[in-house]
Amino acid sequence: MHIAEGYLPPVHAAAWGVAAAPFVVHGVRALTREVRSNPESTLLLGASGAFTFVLSALKLPSVTGSCSHPTGTGLGAILFRPPIMAVLGTITLLFQALLLAHGGLTTLGANAFSMAIVGPWAGYGTYLLVRRFGAPLMVAVFFGAFVADLSTYCVTSVQLALAFPDQGSGVMGALAKFGSIFAVTQIPLAVSEGLLTVLVMRLLTQSSKGELTRLGVLTGAATKRREEAGAR
Amino acid sequence: MLPIDAAAHSSRWRRRHPVEKALLGFGLTLCAVCLPPWPGAVLVAAATLVVLLGPAGVAGRQLWRAFRVPLGFCVTGAVPLLFEVGGARGFVALAPGGPVHAGELLLRTAAASLGVLLFAFTTPVSDVLPRLVRAGVPAPVVDVALVMYRIIFLLLDSLSKIRQAQAARLGHTTRAATWRSLAGLGATSFVRAFDRAQRLQSGLAGRGYDGTLRVLVPAAAVSRRFLAAAVGLLCGLVALTLVLERFLP
Repeated sequence: MHIAEGYLPPVHAAAWGVAAAPFVVHGVRALTREVRSNPESTLLLGASGAFTFVLSALKLPSVTGSCSHPTGTGLGAILFRPPIMAVLGTITLLFQALLLAHGGLTTLGANAFSMAIVGPWAGYGTYLLVRRFGAPLMVAVFFGAFVADLSTYCVTSVQLALAFPDQGSGVMGALAKFGSIFAVTQIPLAVSEGLLTVLVMRLLTQSSKGELTRLGVLTGAATKRREEAGAR
Repeated sequence: MLPIDAAAHSSRWRRRHPVEKALLGFGLTLCAVCLPPWPGAVLVAAATLVVLLGPAGVAGRQLWRAFRVPLGFCVTGAVPLLFEVGGARGFVALAPGGPVHAGELLLRTAAASLGVLLFAFTTPVSDVLPRLVRAGVPAPVVDVALVMYRIIFLLLDSLSKIRQAQAARLGHTTRAATWRSLAGLGATSFVRAFDRAQRLQSGLAGRGYDGTLRVLVPAAAVSRRFLAAAVGLLCGLVALTLVLERFLP
């Protein structure tokens, strides 16, 4: 869910931009360090960003019969880590605003805060937590993608509720209003995105072990075990 | 290529400096957001439409196709403002003044979207990105964005071909098959993106790649006359809004 161009009042748009700025600057520093020490990673990071953009263009079947698209932030954060995703996500949002008329430039800060910062951090945190409890990779991937998707929409609800408080019950009423709209549509979609991410990751562990090991998603030992299991 | 970017590459204002178009497009967006929606957003929307369809030469059909996307989001976003929850009038009731708020929001978002579309329809992203380094954006970030921009179109093209192939193999006939096909699409685009990056890497290494992507930026001088006209239009819109606000209901 992108907040459309001009949807937020100017003060809110500026405030969310200020809130997103430190995370994006931190990501830019991490990315710059990575590129300076390892110049060929420019191409890898560019490819990762393009993959994030394309992932958000996939049409996901919804339970209501319509379709939506995945946010891609969970998979992106698991593969590339949240600081890098803050930059790649912001560039993706900029491209979506200019190339697809999705989202906007005045709402870039708010959209970046929900999709490129909170979503990836919440998803990655959940992924690490579930892994730490000893759960299998795919279970952690499911919960990571589920939480990333849902937290993105929760933050969007908060942003909308703060901008447009309900006339009768204030911000809390507006939060209930926007939250219930998103809950009905988004919980099934978050489950769908979790399942899709698991399917994508399953295929990736079969076809792109090298890349996943390089990105730190699979450890060398895990890759070896999978290869041995495959050989057997 | 995506329709908006394709239109930008063949735009009448393609050779104009991006700063000129940014001042006009983003200035109009800023006016739409900051001025009172009535009559400000209406005036901004009207002025932007005149510029888009007149001097900028954007085709009406192309503009409508691009504009109906944000318009759909605006309408969906305005609907919740029509209702109030948990107030004195019941659990869910029509909000007093809700239609006015929703209408104002619709005007503001529509006018602001048109401002951004004016920039997007006349300025290819490839003209903007290399110039961002001069605006203070770190060069590595711009390089990553440039690579992203180039790979996106190749990936979208691959994606549409894979989707066609999956449909031809009855990959979308059942819900289970659709999910399998979708997962295949996601995984294939990942593999292709990385494959493309590795091939780019090999190609650039053979040409002495040192970590900087040098891009030829078409030379364009900033027209003072255009800038003055844009500032004049923006100031005129602000003044007219403030004057009309006093006389209109």
